[in-house]
Amino acid sequence: MSSDILLNVEDLVVRFAVKRGRGFGKNAYLHAVDDVNFTVKRGETLAIVGESGSGKTTAALAVARLVNSYKGKVELNGTDLLTLGDEDLRQARAKVQFIFQDPYSSLNPRLRAGDIVREPMESLGSMTEVEKAERIDFLFEAVGLRPEQQRLFPHQFSGGQRQRIGIARALATQPDVIICDEPVSALDVAVQAQILNLLRKLQKDFGLTYLFISHDLGVVQHMCDSIAVMYMGKIVEYGPRLDIFNAPQHPYTRALLSAVPSVDKARRAQTKRILIPGDPPDPVNLPDGCRFANRCPAAQDICRRDEPELSNGVACHFPGAEL
Amino acid sequence: MSLIDPENTLPPARSPLSEAWEMFRGNTAAMLALIVLALIMLCAIFGPWVYPTDPFDMVWAPFSPPGVDGFLLGTDYLGRDLLAALIHGSRVSIVIGLAAASVSILIGVTVGALAGFYRGWVEELLMRITEFFQVLPTLLFSMVIVALFGASLPMITFAIGVVSWTAVARITRSEFLRIRELEYVMASRASGATNSKLMFRVILPNALPPIIVQAALMVGSAILFEAGLSFLGLTDPNVVSWGQVIGSNRQYILDASYTVTIPGLAIFVTVLCISLVGDGLNDALNPKLRSR
Amino acid sequence: MALLSVKNLRVEIKTRAGVAPVIDDLSFDLEAGESLSFVGESGCGKSMTALALMGLLPEGVGSIAAGSITFDGEELTTASEARLREIRGNDISMIFQEPMTSLNPLFNIGEQIAEVLRAHQNLSRKAAWSQAIELLDAVRIPNAKARVNDYPFQMSGGQRQRVMIAIALACQPKILIADEPTTALDVTVQAQIFDLLQDMQRQTGSSIILITHDMGAVAEMAERMIVMYAGRKAELGPVEDVIAHPRHPYTAGLISCVPHILSTLTEEREELVEVPGIVPALQDFGKDTCLFASRCLQAQAQCLRARPPEIEFGPEHQSACWRAEEL
Repeated sequence: MSSDILLNVEDLVVRFAVKRGRGFGKNAYLHAVDDVNFTVKRGETLAIVGESGSGKTTAALAVARLVNSYKGKVELNGTDLLTLGDEDLRQARAKVQFIFQDPYSSLNPRLRAGDIVREPMESLGSMTEVEKAERIDFLFEAVGLRPEQQRLFPHQFSGGQRQRIGIARALATQPDVIICDEPVSALDVAVQAQILNLLRKLQKDFGLTYLFISHDLGVVQHMCDSIAVMYMGKIVEYGPRLDIFNAPQHPYTRALLSAVPSVDKARRAQTKRILIPGDPPDPVNLPDGCRFANRCPAAQDICRRDEPELSNGVACHFPGAEL
Repeated sequence: MSLIDPENTLPPARSPLSEAWEMFRGNTAAMLALIVLALIMLCAIFGPWVYPTDPFDMVWAPFSPPGVDGFLLGTDYLGRDLLAALIHGSRVSIVIGLAAASVSILIGVTVGALAGFYRGWVEELLMRITEFFQVLPTLLFSMVIVALFGASLPMITFAIGVVSWTAVARITRSEFLRIRELEYVMASRASGATNSKLMFRVILPNALPPIIVQAALMVGSAILFEAGLSFLGLTDPNVVSWGQVIGSNRQYILDASYTVTIPGLAIFVTVLCISLVGDGLNDALNPKLRSR
Repeated sequence: MALLSVKNLRVEIKTRAGVAPVIDDLSFDLEAGESLSFVGESGCGKSMTALALMGLLPEGVGSIAAGSITFDGEELTTASEARLREIRGNDISMIFQEPMTSLNPLFNIGEQIAEVLRAHQNLSRKAAWSQAIELLDAVRIPNAKARVNDYPFQMSGGQRQRVMIAIALACQPKILIADEPTTALDVTVQAQIFDLLQDMQRQTGSSIILITHDMGAVAEMAERMIVMYAGRKAELGPVEDVIAHPRHPYTAGLISCVPHILSTLTEEREELVEVPGIVPALQDFGKDTCLFASRCLQAQAQCLRARPPEIEFGPEHQSACWRAEEL
C-alpha cells in the first residue's frame, strides 16, 4: 500500500524571524507551520483547511519549496525535496506545480497566454519547439480555451479564463502533484463552479494528485478525499472526507463546520451553531498547552497545561466532547 | 456539460505596450513635445551639414544683434556665429544628456535590481552605498571628478551619471520588492526559472515603466547639469555646447543679453519637452489610469 | 405603508461607450423590521442599489435617471444634499465590505464612534464618549472600556467590522445596509457577525438590507430576497420559497453552482451545475432582451426577442423569465 503514497510530509516546521520592539533583543520566531505531518496518495486530493493565519498556505509553499523550511521532510516519490541542491531542485520543480489564488497577479502581464504556458517547458525539460507547440495546443483544449486565444495578453481574459491559463501552465510539465492554493476564492460564484468542475475533470483524465488549500469548507467537501484542518500552524484534525464532515471530533472543526451558512434547511435545523468568541493567541508568543484552549467551549485545566498530540486523527484532550 | 468557454468573440491581441502608446497618443501636450524633440534631434543630427559654419570661427564683428548683417541669431563677444553655436552645440548637449542618463540607468538599475531581488545583506550594503551617494552635494562632487580627471566629454558624462543614479536605484529596488512578491514571479520560480531569468526576463520588464519615466526626466536634468558645469567652465574647451555658450558670454549679459538668452531658451525648450514627454509616459504607463 | 419603497428605479452611469443603465427598472418594498437580501454576481448592480438608496452615487458618473425612492413617505430622489446627509446618519446607515479601510487610522475608535454621535445627536463630548463605550459593549468587544482607546491597527478584521457596526448603529437607524459585510472575514468570525446583526435587529427593530453573493448567508439571514442580474431584478420572493423552488434559471444556477455542505454527506459527488460564461459587459445592459439568455440552458428564441415581464407566483414571489411557469 505504501507505494501508493506520492507525497509524504513529516515533521515540517516553517518559521519566520520577527523583530519585536527596538534594540538587539533575541530574535523571536513565528512558527507558521509547526510539526505538520501528512501524506497524499497518488490520484487523490488532500485538502488543507483553516482560517487566515492557520499556516495552510505557508505549508503549501513549503512543500513546493517556495519558502524555506526550518526542518522536516517533504518526500515526493521517495525523494526528499528539502535536501536537494540548486540544480536538482530546479529539475524537481517540474514535478510539483502550483495554481495560485489570484488570477490577476499570477500571470505575467507582458507575456501572451501561449508563452505563459510555454514558460515551464522552456525552463525545464527538453522538448523541441514543435513538441512544445503541440503540448500548448493540447493544454489549451484541455482547460477549455481555444487555440486562437494563445496570442492574447492576460488583461484580455476574464478572471475565470485567466485561471484556466494558470491551470494549463501548471499542467505543462506533467507534474506529479499540483498544489491548488485557494484556486477559486477570487472568482465569482458561477465561475467557481466552472473551475472546480474543470479541476475534477482534469484529475480524472490525467490521474492528477492535488494538494488543495482552501478556507471554503463547501468547496473542500466537494473536491477532496481527505482533509487536514489547521489552526495556528498545527493540524488539529486529519482524516478521510466523510469522517470529518459527518463526525468531526475536534471542537475547532466542529465550530468551523457549524459556522458555514447553508441553504439546506435540514442542516440548519440540526446543527447548533458553535460560536468561538475571542481571538487566536499571539502567534509569536504562544501559550502553553492547546492553542485553541482560550476559545474552546470544552476546555479544561489540562488543555491549558499540556499540548495535545495528534492521535487517531485528532489533536484534542477531549475529542467529541459535549459542546 | 461543455467545457469549452462560451465567450465567442476574439479581440485582436493587444500588448500592454501598444495600449500605452494609444494612451500616449491621446495626450496632446506630450505629443507636441515629442514632435518638437524630434525636430531638435533632427537638427542635432543633420544640422552641422546643412549649416557647416564653424562655431569657433570669428566670422563677423562682435555683438551683432540677431537678424542684422545676415546672422539670424547674431554674433557673440568674439564675433562667432550664434546660430552655428546653437546647432553644433545641440549635439553635445543631447549626446551628453542621453549618455549620462544611460550611465545612471545602468548603475541604478543594477544596484536596485540586486538589492531588491536578493534582499538581506546585499540590500543593506547596496542601499547604504546609495545613501552615501545621495547625501553628496552632486554639483560639487561632479566638479571634483571633472577637475581631477580632466574635462573631456566622456569624463563629464561619467561625472553626471555617477552623481544621478541614486533615484533610479531606489525606484528599481522598490519595484523589485513589489513585483518579486507577485504570484507570477512565484509561478516562474515554481517552474524552474533561474535567478538571472527571474531578475532580467520576468521582473525587470515589468518594473520598467517607472524607470522609463525617470530616464526621460533624467535626460533633461543631465542636459541642465552639463549646462551648469560648462557655465562654470568645466567643459571641453574644444567642443561647443549650449551651456558653454552661456558661460562664455556671461559677462555680457547686460550689454548683449541675447547671447545668453538664446542658448538658454534652447535648453529650456528641450528640457521642458523632455519633461512633458516624461509626464505623458507616466500617464500612459500607469495602469491605474488606464480604463479597462 | 412600507418603510422604504423603490419604484421603477433607473440608475445610469457614464462609460466610454456611452450611458449604461446599471439599475434598470427596479421596484421593491422594504417593511419596518424586515431583512431583505440582494444576491448576484459582481457587476450585477447590488452595490449600486445600496449607493442609490444612500444618495451616494459617484458624482458625475452615476445618476438616477428615472423612478422614485420613498423613505417613510419622503421622496429621496429629489431631496437636497443637506437633507440626505441628515437621513444618512440618522435613518439609514451602511457598513462596507472592507473593514480595513473604512476606519480612519489616525483616530482611536472611541473618537470615531463619538464623532458620529455628536454630529447626529448633539450629544456632549462626555456623553458621546460613554455611549461609545456602551456601543462597543453592545457589539461584544470584550473589555470595551479599555479597547475604546485602541486604534484600528490594533484590532483584528472581525473587531474592526464590529466597530463599523457600532458606528452604523450609533444613531439607531431604521435601515441598516450591509454590503458584503463578511466577505473579507473568516467563516467563524462571519458567524459571530451574523449572530450580532440578528441580535441587534431583534433589539432595535431596524430593517436590514444584506448584499451578498452567498446563498447560504441569505438563507441564514434574510426573510425575503431579490436576485439581481445585469442591473435587473431577476427574481423576488420569500427566501424559503425561492430556495426551495427557484422560478428563474439564474437563481437556480446560483444555488446549485456552489458545493454545499449537506446534513449528511455521502461518497457521491455530483458534478456542479455550471452557469456558463460571465456577466455581460456594461454596454449590453439595457437591451430589450433577456440579458441572461446567453448563459441560460433553457433559452428560446423568445428570450432574445424581448425583455421578459415580471410574472407573479402568489402575492410575494415574482420572476422575470419567459419560461418561469415551466420551471
